[in-house]
Amino acid sequence: MSACALWGLETALVTVEVDVANGLPAFVVVGLPDAAVQEARERVRAAVRNSGYEFPLRRITVNLAPAERRKEGTGFDLAIALGILRASGQLSADVAGLCLGELALDGALRPVRGAMPRVRHAAVRGIGEALVATENAGEAAACGIPALGFRALRDVVDHLEGRARVAPSQVPPRAAAPAHLVDLAHIAGQETPKRALEIAAAGGHNLLLVGPPGTGKTMLAQALPSILPPLDDDEAIAASTVHSVAGLTDPLHPILAARPFRAPHHTASHLSLVGGGSPPRPGEASLAHCGALFLDEVAEFSTSVLDTLREPLEERSITISRAGGAATYPARFVLVAAMNPCPCGNWGDGDRECRCLPEQIERYRGRLSGPLLDRIDLRAHVPRVPYERLRDEGREASARVRERVLVACERMRARLAGTGRRTNADLTVAEVKRFCRVDAVTEGLLAEAVCARRLSARGYHRVLRVARTAADLGGSDGVREEDVALALLLRAEP
Amino acid sequence: MIALGPADPRYPRGLLDLRDPPDPLWVEGEVGILASRAISIVGTRRMTPYGARVARELAAACAGVGVVVVSGLAQGIDSAAHEAALDPGGITVAVLGAGIAAYLDEARGRRRRLAHAIHASGALVSEFPPPSPARSWMFAKRDTTIAALGELAIVVEAPRDSGALITAAEALRLGRPVYAVPGPIGALASAGTNALIASGEARALTDASMLITTLELSTPMRGEEEPEDAARVLDALAGSPSDPDALARRLGLSQTALARIVARLMIRGRIGTAGDGRLARR
Repeated sequence: MSACALWGLETALVTVEVDVANGLPAFVVVGLPDAAVQEARERVRAAVRNSGYEFPLRRITVNLAPAERRKEGTGFDLAIALGILRASGQLSADVAGLCLGELALDGALRPVRGAMPRVRHAAVRGIGEALVATENAGEAAACGIPALGFRALRDVVDHLEGRARVAPSQVPPRAAAPAHLVDLAHIAGQETPKRALEIAAAGGHNLLLVGPPGTGKTMLAQALPSILPPLDDDEAIAASTVHSVAGLTDPLHPILAARPFRAPHHTASHLSLVGGGSPPRPGEASLAHCGALFLDEVAEFSTSVLDTLREPLEERSITISRAGGAATYPARFVLVAAMNPCPCGNWGDGDRECRCLPEQIERYRGRLSGPLLDRIDLRAHVPRVPYERLRDEGREASARVRERVLVACERMRARLAGTGRRTNADLTVAEVKRFCRVDAVTEGLLAEAVCARRLSARGYHRVLRVARTAADLGGSDGVREEDVALALLLRAEP
Repeated sequence: MIALGPADPRYPRGLLDLRDPPDPLWVEGEVGILASRAISIVGTRRMTPYGARVARELAAACAGVGVVVVSGLAQGIDSAAHEAALDPGGITVAVLGAGIAAYLDEARGRRRRLAHAIHASGALVSEFPPPSPARSWMFAKRDTTIAALGELAIVVEAPRDSGALITAAEALRLGRPVYAVPGPIGALASAGTNALIASGEARALTDASMLITTLELSTPMRGEEEPEDAARVLDALAGSPSDPDALARRLGLSQTALARIVARLMIRGRIGTAGDGRLARR
């Protein structure tokens, strides 16, 4: 009998062996089971009896092999129950497929989280089909082998013995692209912040929006999904897998249709932001994999929690080490952060007086630590828009901007093919040199800035990465002076 | 640290004009500079970006002609003036509203670094015994000392109840000229300075070069002239920082054209960002 264990996103095939022997009635599970697996004994006992089978009053030993690997979760229930039925002669057919499901006391089959990576792993290891709960059937079917969905233990036995065959589930269609809550056309003015958002979407650059309350920082960030390029197939599977492990999969549309946009509240803890716990679970940063992570009121987040984002921003993944083993989750996301310019929010707002002292403002801004700020390529000020401009027409809709982003992404992909990099934001120093050539005049300007110590070496490369994306959006092969100028304008100095 | 009594030849002459000269005056740092020409620059702790820029320009101009900048090492205008004087290698004196040892013990972060930088080239002075912690009455006393140490006093920004106005009043009483930097009508941070100008007690200070002329010193020639469009951008940013969109609209420039001009000015160090992404003059 085969099942599959899960640790982080890592999976391992587990063989469930059941022996029913003479002796005092007992039911023992060995092979490093955790509490949820131990409790399987009670669920399996009740489910077997309530499905109309006999639970053998003999000595039952269940071994989960390989025995030295820790196993967690409720996914082994179905395999254990089928093993007992087979060993006690109540099931006459052999089971060749992957069995994955939790049993209810009445014998019904319940879904488990993380079905997608487990079934995919089984497929790679040559297992021919998957027996899962109906709710899991869709995501299992998307993994390349026939997936059979069942409602109850009884149905599984009937299927295996050939009394009532169940047809493999269809791969569910991807959901239609969702309607976006906010369109760029809903936002008046803010040309420069919109431009920054477009660059962030096209080149994967992290973005900080600063402005007084009520000027539309949140709305701008919420418009980001409407201009992000669509997920390609690899990305869709990778992102959906993380959602599957977190148990967030929609049974009707298990494959994500749009890039995820995660917006955790500022009271978020380490665990919820980057994941963790034992057994480890993915956090918001990983759920935003291939999409965007939006931190509204970023200065209100605890600084130590924010600093945990440094690793994923650098490595594009998070490794969580616990006594039971290390789990690695992918976390390649665009970070969009929004904050007020000062604690009262009115600093720099022409209409209102700010009552904050300079050192309070400095402390407030300091909550975004230097190393984190170093990872943010773009900063845009979001000003209050005067009333007469609130009504002006002729704003560009997200659909138009998205077309430009798509074209820019095409260019970027073609250029980066073979480098292992996916976005301009990830370019290494050598690649910046190779891909971001500028004309002599512009180079002279940048050299002047570096010599006068107005631009650090790191800042120089960041400016060129952003300029590269701006040039891609402008349809230019070379980086032009105006692209460098825009990158300098949007640069986040401390 | 040394204590100077009024009889000491190194005791700053200006302080003798006070009704009640500090006895002794505690000095940490270079005692000799207390005999140099000095002016006082004071202002509110809640400065605006405009005030910060003007304070920096005035202090840098003084440093450029070798005049010592005296201020109170508070947050805001005081700190901006000290920093800008130190930047081009100028000399500055900080008059503390607490004992010197107590202040250095208490100060943290940026002001601690600033205090040490002032000590390294200029001097920290206080009329209170080194271990005395700050009390609110000390600040008013300190403000009058600042007025006496400078041959003239400049108030950059001050709301109506600001301590900087104590310095202005004392300077007037001592017969020192008082200059105030005019600000926008209605801005709280400039209400006190504008009132000083309106009442005729202070003269309006409209330019750093005006200050140099007043001190009867000649300025070293200022560098290159900016091209016309760059000058327009600098002009538009003179009052307060601005976001790029508003600036482009105001000047009738396209986003791209503005970005080009701004990038050049940024590289030359004439423009920077104001911490929230808006453009501000340096």
